[in-house]
Amino acid sequence: MQILAISPDPNERSQTLAQKLRARYRFLADRDLAVTRRYGLVHSRGGPSGEDVPIPTTVVIDRRGVVRWLKIADNYQVRPDPADVARAARGL
Amino acid sequence: MMRFAPAILSVAVTLGAAFAYFWFLRVPAIRNHPGLYLTGFALGAAIAAVAVWRSARWPNIAALALSVALLVLGAYFNFVFARLPAAGAVLKVGEAAPDFTLPDATGAPVTLASFRDQRPVVLVFYRGYW
Repeated sequence: MQILAISPDPNERSQTLAQKLRARYRFLADRDLAVTRRYGLVHSRGGPSGEDVPIPTTVVIDRRGVVRWLKIADNYQVRPDPADVARAARGL
Repeated sequence: MMRFAPAILSVAVTLGAAFAYFWFLRVPAIRNHPGLYLTGFALGAAIAAVAVWRSARWPNIAALALSVALLVLGAYFNFVFARLPAAGAVLKVGEAAPDFTLPDATGAPVTLASFRDQRPVVLVFYRGYW
């Protein structure tokens, strides 16, 4: 399984975060939110100074490129349980 | 001192609920149920309300004010402030994920389709550090 973490953060900060968490994430920088927007996941003016931010979302994609599991947050305190994501990705 | 045991219990339950939620933020079962801290605040308010009803002394009133204030703020945060708008109807289970290419931490381009027939991919869209 490959985890791709996408945010508008600059690459260096994502890299720092990855090292700090010792995570096997590959961090991708979507600086202008172009991909996030194409995925329909922009919360417009949702940031603290009124900037656009991503809606926290987890998408499990199988080897054929098809979405098999999806969790789009409707409350930013709530994030999927990693165990649920792992279960969804297992055996794909 | 024992006279104000209900007020002390109310404050302990109210503040305990707030601290416990932050303390266990990394535990999905706690984090994903913000209703837990609201329940704690409501319980603290109920204990203080009974204490005030029995004796309208300032420690009881203060405990009631604290728990009601946190209940109102917490409810506003959870039900209004932390709410996110509905996403656009792009992603659907059973449909293809739109392809993209983005730079990784070293600046190297990563294309979603390059994992095709290789391994499953988990995309995590997150808000970042601001």
